[in-house]
Amino acid sequence: MAIKSRRYEEAKLEAGTNLELYWWVFMRISGVVLVFLLIGHMWMNAILVDLNRIDYDYVARRLSQTTWKVYDWLILALAFLHGGNGLRYVLDDWVRHPARRFWTKVVVYSLIAFLFFLGSLALFNHDFGVR
Amino acid sequence: MYRGREGQWAFYLHRISGLGILVFLMLHVANISSAMWGPEVSNAFMKFYHQPVFQVGLLILIAGVLYHGFNGLRIILMDFTSWGVRYQKQLWYAAWVLFVIFYLPFLVKIGGGILGGGHGD
Repeated sequence: MAIKSRRYEEAKLEAGTNLELYWWVFMRISGVVLVFLLIGHMWMNAILVDLNRIDYDYVARRLSQTTWKVYDWLILALAFLHGGNGLRYVLDDWVRHPARRFWTKVVVYSLIAFLFFLGSLALFNHDFGVR
Repeated sequence: MYRGREGQWAFYLHRISGLGILVFLMLHVANISSAMWGPEVSNAFMKFYHQPVFQVGLLILIAGVLYHGFNGLRIILMDFTSWGVRYQKQLWYAAWVLFVIFYLPFLVKIGGGILGGGHGD
């Protein structure tokens, strides 16, 4: 929804509220999708195979198949966004000191962004040499 | 009414399981992505994570994912339907029924692996 406020402070309030609403909706939608994706993921890698036999070859083979590239990246993206936003709720609740809360968020979001980038590289930018 | 009852337990468990899943997700992505550095690096991590203590951790993680997911569905029903709020307590027990049904196969398979000593190479 377009921001109608004429003053920056009001616009910020309005935008903040809408963004909060979008996050609220996102948590529900991503949550439902993740329930199905994750039950499938856990079933395939812990029930259908012996997870103690999972090694480099298994991972390389899996990360080389388009189906699992898409499947895993969906989990990667949705889970980090869902988890990152969920953590934001928790930090807003539990870390009362403003400066400490700010820097905690900087550190955690940076770590999440880095791992999201790393996981995306493994899925889409690395040739494991599997035929 | 609320404090100390099912609703508050549902809330705290949802939060704790969510935080635990996020920590696992970070370790998991780092572990799997290490395959980019080849078999030596990757298999060293794999061997480390195949220790029995991490198998127990995995059982706790799967419990966390299943609870968080099914209780999340309960939250969505509470958000969008009036009967979801009216029967929130019953829905919480329904989430636990789903939890048990889905958790049993994992408990048998992974728990059996731990007890059977099939871990490590």
